[in-house]
Amino acid sequence: MTAGYVDEMHEAFQTDLVYRSEDVPLECSPKPKDLEQTLHGLMKLNGLVIRSLEEIAGRGANAVTYRAGKKFGHEVAQYFQKRDDVEGALHELSDLLRGQYSFEVWKPEDKDSYIIEENGETFIYLVFHDCIVRQTLRRNGLDQGGPLCQTLFGYVVGAIEEITGRKAKLEIVHTGPNACLKKLVLK
Amino acid sequence: MEIHVDKDACVGCGLCVKDCPMHVYELQNNVSVAVRPNNCMGCLSCHEICPAQALEHRGIYAAKRHYIDIHVCEMLKKVI
Repeated sequence: MTAGYVDEMHEAFQTDLVYRSEDVPLECSPKPKDLEQTLHGLMKLNGLVIRSLEEIAGRGANAVTYRAGKKFGHEVAQYFQKRDDVEGALHELSDLLRGQYSFEVWKPEDKDSYIIEENGETFIYLVFHDCIVRQTLRRNGLDQGGPLCQTLFGYVVGAIEEITGRKAKLEIVHTGPNACLKKLVLK
Repeated sequence: MEIHVDKDACVGCGLCVKDCPMHVYELQNNVSVAVRPNNCMGCLSCHEICPAQALEHRGIYAAKRHYIDIHVCEMLKKVI
């Protein structure tokens, strides 16, 4: 390694900035646009972790990621207002997920209500539009519906359970490049 | 939601009919027709699967696509 290169490297980290410990950061640093490379790096890392986990743990990978997501959901939602109604809980959930996921309750044309009862089970269809998981999978060329999707499942189930106190389950109905249809089964 | 199928481009393969979970499309005279457009949730699987790129959706919410590598796309644009 030449001295010139080392000096150049050191130079890149030298600034005139005065940093005081009591400073409260009020701005994101660096600017969001400059974070693109970081975001892509994170997506790549996440994708590789999931791919390796799948290779080593096989189908057990889904259980691991689901569990991780569920814990995360419980942890985050514990600070939110507890509610009995599922509609209210979903509203809380959409606030909770803002920035990472956006979703809406959805029903086919022939259904009257968003809360559907069919074959002895009660469920609500959720259409996920913006999803950081889908973006990560597409960044890495991975299939949708695998272990990384299970983290989102766990997250939603954990949060719904925490807010309503009721058991819930989320199933994939369909995955697409622009949106995914999921079924929130209430127990 | 408004779905337009380019009848001249459609090859009648029926992939959109098979793939759509909400049975939005039907094959009529070997051409795909959007018979239940209001049942469309905008997943755009049909766009991805259509070999003729014959579909067009209007009034759709386009999800954020931060995964696109702009630097790579800029380089590709120069080459193509």
